[in-house]
Amino acid sequence: MKRRVVIIGGGVAGMQTALRLHAAGIGSVILEKDSATGGKLRDWHKLFPTFTPASEVLDPLRRAVGAAGIEVRTGAEVVGLDGRGAVLADGTRIDGDAVVVATGFTLFDARIKEEYGYGIYDNVLTSADVERMLNEGTLSMKNGDRPRRIAFLHCVGSRDEKVCQRHCSRVCCVTGVKQAMELKERFPEADVFNFYMDIRMFGSGYEEMYREAQVRHNVHFVRGRISEAAPTIDGRIQIKAEDTLTGRPLRMSVDMLILLVGMRANDDNRRLADSASLTLAPSGFVQPADPFLHSVESGAEGIFCVGTVTAPKNVGETLAEAAAAADAVADYLKNR
Amino acid sequence: MSFFAPFCLPFMAGAVVMFALLLVKWSTWFCGMPRADKMAVLRGLPTRKTLAAVWEVVSESLLHRRIFRINPVLGYMHASLAFGWFLLIAVGWVETVACLGLRYVPLQGHVFYKYFAATESLPHLAVFDQAMDFLLLVVLSGVALAWGKRFCSRMMGMRRTTKHVPGDRVALSALWFVFPTRLVAESITAALYGGGGFLTGGLGGVMEEYLSPLLLARLFEPVWWVYSLSLGVFFAALPFSRYMHIFTEVPLIFLRRYGVRAGDKESSGDRFRTDACSRCGICIDPCQLQSVLGIDDVQSVYFLRDRRYKMLEMKVANNCLMCGRCEAKCPVGIDLNTLRRNSRDTMRNIPDERRYDYFAGVDRSSGEGRVGYFAGCMTMLTPRTLTAMERIFAAAGEQVWWADRSGGVCCGRPLKLSGETDSARRMMDYNAGLFRKHGIATIVTSCPICLRTFREEYDLPGIEVIHHSEYIMRLIRSGRIKVGRGEEKFTYHDPCELGRGAGIYDEPREVIESLGVLVEPHSTRENSLCCGSSLANTVISDAQQLRIAEGLAAELDATGASTVVTACPLCKKAVSCAASAPVKDLSEVVAERL
Amino acid sequence: MAAINWGYGISKPRAIDIDRNNLRRSDEILHEMPELQSCIGCGSCTAVCTAGNLTEFNFRKVHTLVRRGEYEGAYELMNRCMLCGKCRLVCPRGINTRGVVMLIKRKLGDF
Repeated sequence: MKRRVVIIGGGVAGMQTALRLHAAGIGSVILEKDSATGGKLRDWHKLFPTFTPASEVLDPLRRAVGAAGIEVRTGAEVVGLDGRGAVLADGTRIDGDAVVVATGFTLFDARIKEEYGYGIYDNVLTSADVERMLNEGTLSMKNGDRPRRIAFLHCVGSRDEKVCQRHCSRVCCVTGVKQAMELKERFPEADVFNFYMDIRMFGSGYEEMYREAQVRHNVHFVRGRISEAAPTIDGRIQIKAEDTLTGRPLRMSVDMLILLVGMRANDDNRRLADSASLTLAPSGFVQPADPFLHSVESGAEGIFCVGTVTAPKNVGETLAEAAAAADAVADYLKNR
Repeated sequence: MSFFAPFCLPFMAGAVVMFALLLVKWSTWFCGMPRADKMAVLRGLPTRKTLAAVWEVVSESLLHRRIFRINPVLGYMHASLAFGWFLLIAVGWVETVACLGLRYVPLQGHVFYKYFAATESLPHLAVFDQAMDFLLLVVLSGVALAWGKRFCSRMMGMRRTTKHVPGDRVALSALWFVFPTRLVAESITAALYGGGGFLTGGLGGVMEEYLSPLLLARLFEPVWWVYSLSLGVFFAALPFSRYMHIFTEVPLIFLRRYGVRAGDKESSGDRFRTDACSRCGICIDPCQLQSVLGIDDVQSVYFLRDRRYKMLEMKVANNCLMCGRCEAKCPVGIDLNTLRRNSRDTMRNIPDERRYDYFAGVDRSSGEGRVGYFAGCMTMLTPRTLTAMERIFAAAGEQVWWADRSGGVCCGRPLKLSGETDSARRMMDYNAGLFRKHGIATIVTSCPICLRTFREEYDLPGIEVIHHSEYIMRLIRSGRIKVGRGEEKFTYHDPCELGRGAGIYDEPREVIESLGVLVEPHSTRENSLCCGSSLANTVISDAQQLRIAEGLAAELDATGASTVVTACPLCKKAVSCAASAPVKDLSEVVAERL
Repeated sequence: MAAINWGYGISKPRAIDIDRNNLRRSDEILHEMPELQSCIGCGSCTAVCTAGNLTEFNFRKVHTLVRRGEYEGAYELMNRCMLCGKCRLVCPRGINTRGVVMLIKRKLGDF
């Protein structure tokens, strides 16, 4: 009898897991709540540190899923699960021999940090807006002008007790560096300032990229967190920060303020966790059985976790983890 | 007839000590009061205020009507003890007059009339026997409730009861003995000499039936001794215990009627306030530090106790949200927040004239306008309110002078709340000068903290200070702005400083009702909860603030409203972290519907 | 062997000398307000600070120096604070900043 694994989430984590399972001769069904697979990567422009277009990762994955004949159900929102399947919002039950949770993360809603003016002032954007606009080729100021001065703010919705997001989202630092370089290439005449608290360049090639942004692209890095943004009379945005390396308050007006929004846990992690007795970390992400030998196992029988549902990760880490998850699932099915 | 027996001595001594101490204390406190306050009392004496005060003494010190309204069982306990005892004394006095005619009878003669009537064969009237027994029963029921409260405060509808100091314990123990021993003494007297009403006479009859006359005769004198001793000890301990409130509430009521309130600086007159606290504990339950965080040694009752006995610690004085929930409920009407502030002043105020020298360079203000808009420090961090106000001003065609757009000086209240009264004054004088300079007729502010400060502390002749909720209401009423009404359900959170602080409850509600449907949360208006972010508290942590906000948010979410509306930037910040419905400032919901 | 005196020792050395600084009062402060140790120096507090924009007062710098045992001038600088509390609203570490100001003033000042 052919075994079938229920994979919740059709982003890179879910698709890669399905493909690796297929390679091991195990069938699966992908449940995707959106109208298409690909997850957040669909709206992403290029990937750090190599500036690889997101489509160069996503398209091969999607093609392979199609070629392998893996069943994909779109518009399928999961409301409950156990080790033998998942329940959809319309009450349908999808049965399987194991379940892989690959539901990803939610982008922090920058409107919550009201003092930064997102949704209030034109030309305050999030990193996700920038990726989308780069994809569409529409990146400019609201009135169509080219920005002369751009500020990036790191750690929006990360490491912030005031919005109950204590964790570090890891990838925003390098995204900020990447986007600073992309904007500098697009608007060479513009001055770009990155406001940061700590720059965490954890991946291979990241630190080199940071250095390149500084030296080759002349991106200014200011160590200080912007405290508030206000409109100026001529329609620009005035930002305030402390330049902590000189110990003096700093204020400047910019044409564009880009908020590097963090990755937060999905709101429905709680509901899914309650239905299948999964453990949630204080951050709201699903806690794997242990971070070393069982990092893709949820601790609940037959339920596996992969990708950013357990913690913020980059695309490469997620793809690698998906292979590990497929391996763990195959192992589980063999021994059952 | 001498009306004297040796057992009367403890009572007489106690009464003398008590009255002497009361006289000394009250006169010292009064003399130490600021001159202006003393003059206010002198000027008020021959006015109707005195009559109003007398009536309030009857209704509060004797009948405890306010406590009744808050908690009927607790009210009965206080009233039965206070009013019952008062009537025992008053009716007892009438009794001696009725029996003996108008002649001088010493104090102990009234108090121990039953003893003298029996031993010296004086007349007694059955109607008074019955009446006095009834009153004694009422008082005894109060004593029984007091016992019950001590052992099980929940019985009285209270979660917690107050803790005691040694003076209290002595007085309390004596008080518990007073009425039971009176009952026994009068009953034995009735058993031996006859007389007594349904209670003492009845109990006397039972004693006569079951106890030997010899035993009763042997107990007779000692029981009267115990009764007198209990009274004497209670009276002597009274000025050192919470029971000082029985008498002190009376002058406090007069002071209040004459317009004398607690001030920015501690004064000996504050003793009339601290000592008028009966430690009923009504202030404990509404305190969110207690109900949410389990902090149970900082509430007003403990603050007043500690201050009175000179053992007040900074962390107790500082750990208070000054939300005013307890003050709104205090049956004695003590200025709890002002007292706490002036304690903080005593502990911390270090006036230094040079401290805010830099204000001289602050004024970058320019322009004039009919209306000045002072957003407030915190509103700078909630810019949606700013843009909404901008749209409202534009829609109304108002000529506005933006007072603090390029950064203003704090209104001074945070410093004042933390006790640095003199530094705060400097800041206030600076701002007031700034406002007077720009020819405005009205100041609109979005911050209830600033609002109160401008109203109460600033000298702004000819300038009206209003909150933006009042301003918007006027615009809508006068038709200067038109808003679209829908079916959306709103709930409204009363900010402490706006509601209890400035008495503004109806204006924001009127505005909301012109936009949609208003659903009230469980705790509303005078009883509304604090968001926890109060500037008055510098002790609790962010995590504790959040827990208080979550409690409030739960009540707001429970209304099922699709939008939570409030009118204070601090409340907005605090609640939006915790509530699931979107939280908006009043100005935002108005601007959205222009 | 005696240390060589090069003759440049006129002014006080600028180094924060943790060996010489007495950290007792700093420890007392951190004992009462342990979360102060979680400061990551982002500078939000100083950025919003009205006093900090007008004077030398820099809340972050003062409390950091105090934590290193450099108490001189801290009390006077903290006195420039208006206690308005904006810094507390923006602190990403949830530090009770107004409490810190008052604590430092209490420990290093005269009340």
